[in-house]
Amino acid sequence: MASKVKQITVWARGVVQDKEGRDIANGLANAAKKEGKFTQAFDNYVDLPDRVNVPLRKYARISDEEIEERYEYENEKPEVVIVADATLVKGINVLRGMEKGGVLVVNTDRKPEDILKFIPNRDLLKAIVCVDAKGICGEATVDFSGSEGGVDAVGLGAGMAAPILGALVRGTNLVKLENLAAVVKNKEALYKGHEQAVVKTL
Amino acid sequence: MFIIPKEKEVPLGCITPAPVTEQPMMITGNWREYRPVIEQEKCNLCMNCIVYCPDACWQLNEVEDEVVWNAKYCKGCLICVNECTTEALSKAYELDFEDGVVRLEKPF
Repeated sequence: MASKVKQITVWARGVVQDKEGRDIANGLANAAKKEGKFTQAFDNYVDLPDRVNVPLRKYARISDEEIEERYEYENEKPEVVIVADATLVKGINVLRGMEKGGVLVVNTDRKPEDILKFIPNRDLLKAIVCVDAKGICGEATVDFSGSEGGVDAVGLGAGMAAPILGALVRGTNLVKLENLAAVVKNKEALYKGHEQAVVKTL
Repeated sequence: MFIIPKEKEVPLGCITPAPVTEQPMMITGNWREYRPVIEQEKCNLCMNCIVYCPDACWQLNEVEDEVVWNAKYCKGCLICVNECTTEALSKAYELDFEDGVVRLEKPF
């Protein structure tokens, strides 16, 4: 896979965060599209996501040139990893396949140090961003609209995805905040997440 | 008459014996957000947690005379917390604990 393609992997919980995880990947890809980039965003079929709390992945890819890897359904070397539920770092090697200099975004009310002690391969990271999305937006929206080609009645980024996307801009330069604001529904939460995110460079 | 060999006989009442080995292909410890925590002083060994746990994550330690929790397979459904008669079980957030780390390479 060409190195120009930037791969973003989102880890979330099955069913309860299915829409949130998809909104993060889709919102990121849509915002990058507004900047004239080539993008892809898709779910993972391997994870069997229709069970409550099962760890699952959503993927996004951003590139300056046309993405030719159409038939690869997994991000082998993610540059940015987003963890939508902090307890996932204990159960999964979330940085698998990452090359040195990646960024980790975690939705948690804890400090970055508390998360890092559960990540043994933390030397791969360039920075870690922590944001309390649950504190900003409340509980995750349990909703299936927009899944499997259905009509998205709730709207993209109405829930927890908005502050996480805002925090992502603090740690990376993948997209600009104003392009995300044009895509995301809950703009107030997006800006709040951008302000309240805690960035720790390693 | 059709004779079933002795080793293939189904137990009385067709109940299969309890699983004695772990299932390494289906580790579900990473599904957990909250975990049950037991206070052994309050526990009166009513065995409700053992009966109600869907994954047999509560086992009776007959030597110590106490119930033991299995961190590797507990999904954090908290049914045991609901069914506990003496309020010996309570839920606690997973990141408060150093142990219980599963860290699989892939979800499955």
